[in-house]
Amino acid sequence: MTRQTKEETTIENEQPQPAIIIDDDVWEQLIDLTDGAAALCYQCGTCTAACPWGQFTNLDLSVRTFLRQAQIGVFQASEALWLCTTCAQCQPLCPRGVNIVDVFRAIRTLAWQNRTVAEGLPSILWSLYWNDNPWSQPPSQRSAWAGDIAIPQFNAQEHEILLYVGCTSSYDSRAQQIALALVQILRAAGIQFGYLGNLEPCCGEAVLNLGNRPYFEEIRAKTAAVFTQHGVTDLVVISPHCYDVFKNHYNTISKTIQVQHYTQFLTQLLEEGRLRFSRSINKQVTYQDPCYLGRHNAEYAAARTIIDHLPGVEFREMSRNREDGLCCGGGGGRMWLETPAGERFADHRVKEALETKAQILATACPFCAVCLEDSAKNLGQTELEIMDIAELARLGIE
Amino acid sequence: MASSFYGVEDQVQAIWVYLEHRDGSLENVSLEMLSEGRVLADQMGWPLVALLLGHSVENLCQDAFIYGADQVWLAEHKLLENFTIEGYTSAIYQIFLQSKPSVVFLGATHDGRDLAGRLAVRLRTGLNADCTGLRIDPDTGVLICEVSGFGGGVLALIEMQTHRPQMATVRPGVFSMRQTTSTPSKTIIRPTFTIEPEDIYTKYIERIEGDYVDLTGSTVLIAGGRGIDGDFQMLDALAQLLNGEIGATRPPVDDGYIERERQIGQTGVVCSPRLTICCGISGAFHFVVGIEKADTVIAINKDPKAPIFDHADYCIVGDVKQIVPKLIDALKTKV
Amino acid sequence: MPELNIFVCMKVVPKSEEIRVNTETMAIIREGVRSEINPPDMNALEMALSLKDRYGGQVSLLSMGPASFEFYLRVGLSVGADRAYLLSDPQFAGADTLATTYTLAQAIIKLGGGDIILCGDESADGATGQVPAGVAEWLDIGQLSMLTNLELDLTRRVGRGRRDIKGGYEILEVPIPFVVSVQTACNEPRFIDFERKSWAFTEAQVITWNAADLEADIEYIGLRGSPTVVTGLAEAADRDRQHEYIDGTPQEIALKLAGLLEDILESV
Repeated sequence: MTRQTKEETTIENEQPQPAIIIDDDVWEQLIDLTDGAAALCYQCGTCTAACPWGQFTNLDLSVRTFLRQAQIGVFQASEALWLCTTCAQCQPLCPRGVNIVDVFRAIRTLAWQNRTVAEGLPSILWSLYWNDNPWSQPPSQRSAWAGDIAIPQFNAQEHEILLYVGCTSSYDSRAQQIALALVQILRAAGIQFGYLGNLEPCCGEAVLNLGNRPYFEEIRAKTAAVFTQHGVTDLVVISPHCYDVFKNHYNTISKTIQVQHYTQFLTQLLEEGRLRFSRSINKQVTYQDPCYLGRHNAEYAAARTIIDHLPGVEFREMSRNREDGLCCGGGGGRMWLETPAGERFADHRVKEALETKAQILATACPFCAVCLEDSAKNLGQTELEIMDIAELARLGIE
Repeated sequence: MASSFYGVEDQVQAIWVYLEHRDGSLENVSLEMLSEGRVLADQMGWPLVALLLGHSVENLCQDAFIYGADQVWLAEHKLLENFTIEGYTSAIYQIFLQSKPSVVFLGATHDGRDLAGRLAVRLRTGLNADCTGLRIDPDTGVLICEVSGFGGGVLALIEMQTHRPQMATVRPGVFSMRQTTSTPSKTIIRPTFTIEPEDIYTKYIERIEGDYVDLTGSTVLIAGGRGIDGDFQMLDALAQLLNGEIGATRPPVDDGYIERERQIGQTGVVCSPRLTICCGISGAFHFVVGIEKADTVIAINKDPKAPIFDHADYCIVGDVKQIVPKLIDALKTKV
Repeated sequence: MPELNIFVCMKVVPKSEEIRVNTETMAIIREGVRSEINPPDMNALEMALSLKDRYGGQVSLLSMGPASFEFYLRVGLSVGADRAYLLSDPQFAGADTLATTYTLAQAIIKLGGGDIILCGDESADGATGQVPAGVAEWLDIGQLSMLTNLELDLTRRVGRGRRDIKGGYEILEVPIPFVVSVQTACNEPRFIDFERKSWAFTEAQVITWNAADLEADIEYIGLRGSPTVVTGLAEAADRDRQHEYIDGTPQEIALKLAGLLEDILESV
C-alpha cells in the first residue's frame, strides 16, 4: 500500500485506483490526540467481538475498523462512530492494551473539525454553552430539585465536602430522586456539607466523550476555576461520569482536590462508624456495575460494601459482573441520542437482572438508573425495582 | 418624531379588518376579528369595514356581512389573485391613503404579519403585534392593545397617541367568531388603485396542499403519551364523545402510532383548549408548554410522581387503560 | 461575478424564564438575567453560512444594542461569520420595530446594500416578527418569509425559498436582493469552530457605529422614532392549577370524571 499525500495523487488511467488515500495530517493528528494509542493495534478483532452492539443488537459497530482507520490516517464520516458508549468492554480484553476509548474520542474530535457529527449533537453543545447543562434546561432552575430542603451554600471553612450533584441529577426527574436520597443520608450521618446551587458548573464529561476536545478544555478550565475559587478540597459526586472526568481528566485539580464517588464516601462513613444502618430491608438485591466506576476506575467494592452492611439484604450477583458488566447504553453521549427500541443494552441488562430473581436492581449511576428503569417499564416488568445505592441505603436508616 | 402620512386630524374614525382567504373561504382569524371589531364598532359608534383583496372573490363579501361588517372595500384584480407581499402592500397602501382609517386589524398569520409590517413602515406608523386583547378609549379613540412577550411571561399594554392608522395584528384563536344579530348596512365599495405586471416580482414555483389537522383551534384536546401504548383508537372514541381532537407527545409520534401533525409541545403544536385530558403522559417540560394555556387540565398517570400532576387541575393516579374505557361507557350512558 | 454579500440581523435576548417586571417603574428587570443569541437568529446564521458554503461570499452580522452585545457578535464570528457590526448609541434605545428596522436598514445601506439579508422569524423577547418585513420595506426590496430552505440561482440572480403551509409547502422565487425570515428550528446551528474562535475573540474587529456614523435621521431612531408607547406592564399570572386528586376504583373514577366533564363542558 503506497502512502500518498494529497498533492501527489497522480493516477494513470490504465492502473486500478488506490482503495484508500491516506492523509498525513489526519494520521498525525490522531497520533497526537491519542498518544499513539492506535499504533499498538494488530487488528485481531477481539474488541469487535466483545462490543455489546454486536452481541445484542442488529446495529454494527466494527471497533477494529475504526482502529485501523486511526492507525493509517483515514477519516471517514460514519454514523457508527457515534454508537460507541465508551463502556470500555473491549479494553480489558485487548491483548495490546490499546486505549480504545481514547481512539474513539480522537476520531470524534476530527468529526467535529470536519463538521460531520451526528444530528442533534451541536444542539447539545449549544445547550451547554447557553445553559451550563446539556439538557436544555434553564440554569436558574438547576437547584430546583432540592425543593424546600435548604442545602447550605458551600463554605470551605465549615464544610467537610462539596456535594457535586451534576446536571442529570439536577434536571432529570428520576435522577433527582437519587440526589434527594443522598442528602437525607448525609444529614442522618451528621455530615457538614455544602452545595454550589445554581452556580454549580457542568463537569463537561459529555463533551469529552462526544469528542469536542477544545470545548471540553474550555469547560474544564472554567469549572476548575470555580472549585479553586471556592477553596474546594473534598468533592463527592453522584455520577460516575463526573467522577471519572474530575479524577482522570482534570489535570489541574486532581492533585489538590480529593474526588470521591458517593459510594466511596458512604463506605468511608460506614468504616468510620459515622453512618449506621438500623432498619432491616428484607429484599434480594442485585447490582449493576457502572462502566465509569467499574471498568474505567476499578471501583467494584464500594457499592458492594454498602449493600453488605444493609441488614436483611440478600445480595445476588448477575452472571456478568464487575469487569464483565454490561453497559446500560447511556455513556459516550448516547443519553442524548435516540436508540431504537429493541436495540437497547438496558433491555438485556434488565433480563440478566431478572434471572437473579432479585427484587431490587441496584445502580450507582444516574444514567444506569434512568436507562434501566426505562427498559423495565417498556418490558412491562413491574416487579423489579430499580434503585440507586443512595435510595437503597436510605431504606436502612429510616 | 417623524409623523405618519396622515394623523389624528385627517383620520376617518372606523375599524378596518383585513380579510385573509384561502381556497374560497375566509380564514377563521378574519371572522374572529370581524366579531370583535363589531363589538368595538358598536361601543364607539364607528363603522366596521372589511378589506378584501383578490380576484373573483366577491362572494366572500356575504360572509363578511354575516360576521358584522358594515362595508366591504373590495379590491379585485387578476394580479391580486395570489397573495404577493408587493402587490398587496401596494394596493392597500393606495386604499389607505384614500380611506385614512383610524384603526386597522390584520391576523397575526405569516402573510398577515408581513403585510402589516411592510404597510406600517410605508405609512410611517406604529404596529402592535400578536395582540390578545383590544380596547378603544371612548374619549380619545385611542386603541389599547394587550400583547405578551418573553415567552408569554410578560403582558404589556401598548398604544399610539398621534400616529395613524393604529395598526394591530391579532392572534388567531383568541377571540370567538360570532355572527351578527344586528343589521349592518352592507355596502360594497370598489376603490380605485393601480397595479401593473412589473409591480409583481414574487413567483409561485410550486404549491402542495393537502388535508391538514389544525389542533390550535380545538376546544377539547385528548392527548396520549407513552402510557397508552399506542392505543389512539381508545382516545379517539373518547374524543368523539366529547367533540374533541386527539393529540400526542413525541414518543408515540416517533414510534409511528400517530401523525406528527398531532404532536403537542415545544416542537409541535401549542394549543389553548378549554379542556385537555392527558392520558399516560409523564409531563416533561417541553410537552407542558403545549397545553399550559388550557383552561382545565385533567391528568391520568400510573406514576404518582409524574410531573404532569404539577400542571393539572384534576389528578388521577391510575391505569389509563382501565379508566378510559370505563369513562367512555359512563359518558355513553349519560347521553 | 461579484461576491455574495450576505447579512444576518442578530438580536441578543434575555432568558425569558429569568425576566421579572418592576410594576412600579413599569420596566423589565434585567440585572442578573442571563442572555443568549436569539435562537431563531442562530437558525438564520446557519442558513447564511450554508449559503456561503455553497455559493461563496461573505457573511456579515448586524446587531443593534449596547456594547455588551459585542461578546455575542464574536460568538457569531467564531461560528463562521466574517464580519460584525454593532449599532450602538444611547439614542437607539427604546426603539420599537419602526425605529429598529430603520436603523438596521441604514447600516445595510451604508454597507452598500446586501444581496441576501437573513433574520430569525421572531425574537424570543418581543416576538413581534415584524423586523424582516420592516427592513425589506425600508430597503425597498423583496422578501421571502418563514423559509425552511433557500437556494440561489446566481446566473438569473434569483432566490428560491421553501416554506411550510398548512398541510404542505410552497416554493417561491424572488429576485436578488431580498430579505429572508428564517423559520425557527428549521436547521441545526453548527457549533463554534475552535480554530476560528481565537481569531474571533482577539484579532477580529467588531465595528461599532453610532447614529452619526449611520447618518441616521434622529426623528426615526430610538424612543423618539417609535410611535408605539407602553402604558402598562405586568408579569403574566402564574398558571395556578387546582391539583385536586380524584381517587377510587377505576369504575368510581370513571363515574366521577363523567360528572366532572359534564360540568366543564356545559360552559364550553
